[in-house]
Amino acid sequence: MTSSVQSLPASKTADIAPPAHTGPIDSLDTDAAKLYTHVHPVLLLSLYAYRFKAIVADPVPALASTLPWLLVLQAAYAIICLPPAGGGTAVREKEKRRPGEKKKKVERNRMENVWPKLLLICLSLVGSIVLAILPIMITLVLMGAPLTTYLDRTALCAAHLALLTTVPLVYVHGISASTCRKIVGLMVPIDEVQGGMIGTLVGAWLGAVPIPLDWDREWQKWPVTIVTGAYFGFAIGKTLGGSLLKGKKISFDP
Amino acid sequence: MDKGEPLPAYEGLAAAFAKAKAEREKQEAQGLKPTSGDAEVANKQGEVQFKALHGILVAFFGLVLALHALGIYLFTSGFLLTRLVLEQKSECGVLPIEIPSSHTSQKWNPGSAEAGCWHPKTFDKAVVIIVDALRYDFTIPVSPDGPQKPHYFHNALPILYETAVQNPTNAFLLPFIADPPTTTLQRLKGLTTGTLPTFVDAGSNFAGTAIEEDNLVAQLRNASKRIVHLGDDTWHSLFPGYFEPNLTRAYDSFNVWDLHTVDNGVTEHIFPLLHPSNTSKWDVIFGHYLGVDHAGHRYGPHHPAMTAKLNQMNEVFTKMIEQLDDSTLLVVMGDHGMDAKGDHGGESDDEVQAALWMYSKRGVFGRSSPEQVLPPATAKERPVSQIDLVPTLSLLLGMPIPFNNLGAPIKEAFIGPSGSDLMNLATVNRLAAAQIHRYQEDYALARGMDNSVRARSLSLWQEANDAWPSIDLKRAENDAVHKAYNAFAAYQAETLRVCHALWARFDVPRMYNGVTILFGALVLLSLYARGLEGDSSELTPVLLKSGGLATVAAGVMGLGGSFAVPSFPRDHVMIYSAAMGCIAGIAHALWYLRRRVVSPFPASIWGWASVVFTLALSAGFAANSFTIWEDEILLFFLNTFGFLMAISSFRQGKPLDRALGCYHSVLFIILTRLASLSRLCREEQMPFCVSTYYASANSSTSATWQLAIPYIVALLLPSFIRAYYTNTRNLQGSAVTWIDFALRFGLLLSAAYWTLDAADDGEWFEGYSDVLKSTKVIVAQITLAIAVAFGYCTFAWAKPFLNIETRFKGAEDRGFEGSSAQVISEGGTSSITVLGYANVHGSRYAFVITVWLLIISLVQKPMGAGAIGIAAWQIFSLFEIVDTNKLADTPVGPVVLGLLGSFHFFKTGHQATLSSIQWETAFIPLRTIRYPWSPLLVVLNAFGAQILCAVAVPAVVLWKQPPKKKGLVGDVAKALATHMLFYAVVNLATTLWAGHLRRHLMLYRIFSPRFMTGAVALLVVDVVVVFVALVGARTSFLSVGEVFGWESWALEREARRERPAHH
Repeated sequence: MTSSVQSLPASKTADIAPPAHTGPIDSLDTDAAKLYTHVHPVLLLSLYAYRFKAIVADPVPALASTLPWLLVLQAAYAIICLPPAGGGTAVREKEKRRPGEKKKKVERNRMENVWPKLLLICLSLVGSIVLAILPIMITLVLMGAPLTTYLDRTALCAAHLALLTTVPLVYVHGISASTCRKIVGLMVPIDEVQGGMIGTLVGAWLGAVPIPLDWDREWQKWPVTIVTGAYFGFAIGKTLGGSLLKGKKISFDP
Repeated sequence: MDKGEPLPAYEGLAAAFAKAKAEREKQEAQGLKPTSGDAEVANKQGEVQFKALHGILVAFFGLVLALHALGIYLFTSGFLLTRLVLEQKSECGVLPIEIPSSHTSQKWNPGSAEAGCWHPKTFDKAVVIIVDALRYDFTIPVSPDGPQKPHYFHNALPILYETAVQNPTNAFLLPFIADPPTTTLQRLKGLTTGTLPTFVDAGSNFAGTAIEEDNLVAQLRNASKRIVHLGDDTWHSLFPGYFEPNLTRAYDSFNVWDLHTVDNGVTEHIFPLLHPSNTSKWDVIFGHYLGVDHAGHRYGPHHPAMTAKLNQMNEVFTKMIEQLDDSTLLVVMGDHGMDAKGDHGGESDDEVQAALWMYSKRGVFGRSSPEQVLPPATAKERPVSQIDLVPTLSLLLGMPIPFNNLGAPIKEAFIGPSGSDLMNLATVNRLAAAQIHRYQEDYALARGMDNSVRARSLSLWQEANDAWPSIDLKRAENDAVHKAYNAFAAYQAETLRVCHALWARFDVPRMYNGVTILFGALVLLSLYARGLEGDSSELTPVLLKSGGLATVAAGVMGLGGSFAVPSFPRDHVMIYSAAMGCIAGIAHALWYLRRRVVSPFPASIWGWASVVFTLALSAGFAANSFTIWEDEILLFFLNTFGFLMAISSFRQGKPLDRALGCYHSVLFIILTRLASLSRLCREEQMPFCVSTYYASANSSTSATWQLAIPYIVALLLPSFIRAYYTNTRNLQGSAVTWIDFALRFGLLLSAAYWTLDAADDGEWFEGYSDVLKSTKVIVAQITLAIAVAFGYCTFAWAKPFLNIETRFKGAEDRGFEGSSAQVISEGGTSSITVLGYANVHGSRYAFVITVWLLIISLVQKPMGAGAIGIAAWQIFSLFEIVDTNKLADTPVGPVVLGLLGSFHFFKTGHQATLSSIQWETAFIPLRTIRYPWSPLLVVLNAFGAQILCAVAVPAVVLWKQPPKKKGLVGDVAKALATHMLFYAVVNLATTLWAGHLRRHLMLYRIFSPRFMTGAVALLVVDVVVVFVALVGARTSFLSVGEVFGWESWALEREARRERPAHH
C-alpha cells in the first residue's frame, strides 16, 4: 500500500496520485445517493430488457447503440453514489464530523481541488474503458470465443463488460499499478464496486453455459447470453456487495 | 517451502553424498563428517521400510483398480444389450406354414432342395460380392452442372446405376440400410443371420468368433452347396471350416494402410472361377473387397485414391457381368457406409447407408411402378434393410429362411419382370412372416416373456392370416392379394420394431449393482484422497489389510451364496459380494481410524473450485449438448482455472513468486487456447465446428504443412523442458544426455516417421513404396527403443540430478544459493555447494514424464504430436504455478491434470465416438497385427493425453519439495488418489446417465460411447497410476534416498510409532 488512509487530513500524495481506499467503499451519505444506489440496478436491467429484442435480432448495431446509454447510467451512478478517487464528498462529510485544528483549511484546499480531480477522473475513465476493452476481449477469446469470426460482436461484448466493471472501479480507485494489482488479485474487501465487478465477471461466465444447448433459440447467439449474464451479475453483485457481503475478504489460502 | 532458510539438519546427510561425489572428483572433502555405523543401520531400516510401504501402496491402489474394474464389468454386462441365441435351425422339409396345394405342381413340391425348399428357386448359383464401405451415394451419378459439385467419390462407379436404368429386369439398385454398430464383423453377422446386432459385440472387432445361430452360410453348407470365399478373413472367424479349402483365399483385413493386396487377390481368383470350365466346381462365391474401406480410412472419401479404387471396382463388375452365366445371380453390396472422414462404426446416416445391387442375365426382376425404374436419388427413398437380404437370397437360391431372420423379402426380386406378380410377392412375404412368427414363439418361450409385449404384433399376425384365405387363387384379385401382402409386411415391420426395443433390454439388477460398487469405491477414494489427516501413506496398511481380508471373506461367502440361490448368475453374485466386502472392509478400517478422518468437503477456494468443476463437468454429461461440446467446455474450465491461478499469483507477497506465477499462469492459458485450435469435429457438432486435425473435413491424412509440427516440437520442446531443469540447477548428469540429445533425437525421428508416412501415402516417390514402408516402420521402432530402452533405463539407474560445486571464498555470488543450491560445508577458503538440491525429488521424477512424452508423441498424428507437446509444456508450467502459489496440498494439481488430460484427448484427434478410434496406429511400429502390442498401441494413441497427465501427477507434489520433507510418500499417494477420483467421478456420472437414459434416442450415438470412453479412461488411468506413476515414484525415491539416506525417515516413523494415538 503506497497510498494514505482516506480519513487522514491533508494527504500530501493526493495531488500526485489518487489515493486508493483501503476499507470497503461506502456510498455517499446524501439522499440522492441513497435513493439512486437502489434505483441504478433496476434502471440498468430495464435498459437491457428494453434493448434485448433488438440485441437478439441484430447484435452488432444494437449492442453499439446501447453503449452510450450504459455509459450515462454508469457515470450517473458513479457521480451520484460513489466517492471519487483521491477524496471528494465522502471525505468531506466524514471530516466534518471529525474535530481537528486544521479542519477548515483542509476543507478549503479540498474544495479547490475537486473540479480538476473530477476532470482527471473523467479522462482516466474514458482512457481506462478504452484500455480495458482489449484485455477483456483477449480474455473472452482465451476462454473460447471465436478467434477469427464475430470479432465485432466480441469487441462490443468486451465494451459492455468494460463499462460495467471499470467505470465505478476507476472512479473510486483511480489508476495506479498497486491498486490495479489489488483489484485484479481480488485483495480489496468486498463492497458494492468490487461486488459489481466480480458479479459482472461471474455473470458473464455463467452466461456461457446455455450456449452449447441444442435449443435452437435466437438468443443463444454469440454474445447475447454473455452480456445478459454480465448485466444480471452486475446488479446482483453490486447489491450483495453493498449489503450482505460488505467488508468480507476473499481468501485464496489453501 | 523452506527456500532461503538455513537447513542445518540436512548437513550430515548431504555430506554422505558430497563425500562420495567429492572423492570421485578429487575435490577437497576432508572436512566432512564420516557416517557412523548406527546411521548405516538406520539407513538400511529406512530403506526397507520405504520399500514395504511402497508395496502396500501399490497393493492398495491395485485394490481400488480392481473395484473399478468389477463395478464397470458388472454394469457393462447388464447395460450392453443381450440377446438370447436360439439353437433351432430351419429345415428344408419343415415349412413354417402350410403351402396351399394349388401352389404346388409337378414342377415344384415343397421340401426339396433341388427345386427349392420353401419356394421354387430362381437361381442355382450366386456370386455375392461385398464391397466394404460402399456408401449408397458412391453409386449414384452426380451431374457436374448440378447444384452439388461432384466429389472424388462421385461418378467413379457408374456400372451399377447404368445397368439398373438400362435393363430394369436384369438389375436393380437400392439403398441398403445397416443396423448400427457399423463394423464389418457386426454387419456380416446381420447379413447372414438376419438378426439385429447387440452392442456388446461391437468390441469384438479384433477377435471375431464363430456364429452359432442359424444363418445363410450354414444353410448352404447343410444343403451340400460348395461355398467359396475370397477376401476379408473376418469370414473365417465367423464361419470356420465352411468354405471349399482349395478354392478359398483369405486375406488379412486389418492392415488398413494396404489398399490393394486384398482386392487384387479377390480379382485374381474370382475370374478363373467364373470361367465356364470352372463353374461346376462351386455353387456360391462370397467375395469381400476391402480397398474402398481402406481408402476411406486412410485418405477419406474425398481423395483421388477413392476415385481410383471405385474405378477399379467398376472394371471388375463390368467384367463380371460379361462372364456371368444365366443361372447365376450376382449380388454387389456395401456392408456399411463411411462418414465424412472415411471412418465408420457409429450410426450416422453416412455410416449406415450402403448400396445393394442385384444382377441376373435372365430378366427376373421388376418394379411395382414405372417411376421406380430409376434407382432412388438419395438413400432416404425406398431403402431396404440389410437383414432383408437374408430371406431374399435364401428364397432365390431355394434355401429355407434362417430360423432367426427378421428381414422381409425384397420386393424387386419377387414381383416379376412385369411388375405385377403380387401373388408371388405375397407368398414369399407370408413365408418370411411365418418363419418370424415361429422364431418369436420360440424366443418368447425360451425367455419366459409374456405376450403383452407382443400383443400388437400378434394381432397383426392374426389379421394377416385372416386376409390370406380370402384370396381366390384361380382369379388373381389384385386388391385381396395386395391386402394380404401388406398385412404380412406390417407384421414383419412390427415384429422388427418390437425386437429393436426388446433387445435394447437391460439387465437392471446388474446395472444397479455395478453402480453401487462404483459409488462405494468413489466414497472411499474421496475419503482416502482428501479426508485423511496427516500422512495418508502410514494408514494405508490398515486399510489394505481390512479391505483385502474382507474381499476374500465376502468372495467366499458369495460363492457359497451362489449355490444357495442358483437363479442368480454366479459371476454376478461373486463379484458383487467380493466388491461390497472390500468396500465394507475399507470402510470399517476407516471407522477404526475415525480420529484421523476429516471431512473431505472442501475448505478453501481451491478445494471448492476442484469439486465444483469436476461435478459440473460430470453433471453436464446428462445433456447431449454438453456431451457433444465437451472439448469446448474443458477449454472453458481449464482456462477458468488458469485465470484463478493468475489471480492467486497476483496476491503473492514475493515479487519473484508473483512474476513467475503470473508468467506461468498466462502461459498455461495461452497454450490451452493454442491447443484448442486442433479440432476433430464429431458429426453432431456440425456445422458449428471446423475440423483442423486432418488436411480437410473429408480426409484422414495430414496436410503437408502439418508435417512441420512434430519437427517444431522436436526443436523447441526439449529446450523448454531444459529451462525448467536449469532454473533449479537440476540439469546435471544423465538429464543432460537425455533432454539435450536422446529426447530431441527421438522426437525428430518420430517427426521423420510422419514425413515418411506422408510420402508413402501421397506416393511422392513412385516405385519406392516398399522402401518407404519398411523404413518408416524401422524409424518408429528405433524411436520406441530410444524411449523404452534408453529412456527407461536411464530413469531407473540415474543418480539424482545434482552436482557439487566448490567455490573459493570471495568468488562472486551467482545468486542461486539458498534457492536451489545448498551449501553443505564451509572450509577455510572454500565452500562445497550441492546444485539442484531444492528440486531433487521433482526433477528426478519428472524425467519419466519426458520418456512417456516421447512414446506418446510417436503414436500421434502430426497435429496430435503438437497437442501432446503443448500438453507437456503445460504440465511443467503447472508445476511452477503450483509451487509459486503453494498449492501442493490442494487438489488443484491432480484435478487440473485430469482436466488437461481429458482436454488433450480431444486435441489429439479423438471424440467420444467409436469412429474416431485411430485403428491404424497399430501399424506404426508393426507391419501386422500382433497381440498384445496392437491393441496397446491403439490405447496409447487414444488415451495418450490422459496417460501423460496421469504420469505427471506425482511431480505436482514433488516439484521443488525439499528432499527431507516429511510425508512426501503420503503426498504422492494423496495426489494420485485425487487424480483417480477425478476420473472416477466422471466415470460414475457417465455410467449413471447412460443407465438412466437407456431409452433415450441418443443412447447409442452419445451417451453409450461417452460411458465407454469414461470407463476405459478410468481403467487406463488406474493402471498408469499403479504401474507407472507409483513405480516411477519408487525409483525416484530410492534414487534420492540412496544419496541423502533414510535415517531420518526411519527415525521419524519410529518416533511416531512410539507415541501411538496422539489424537
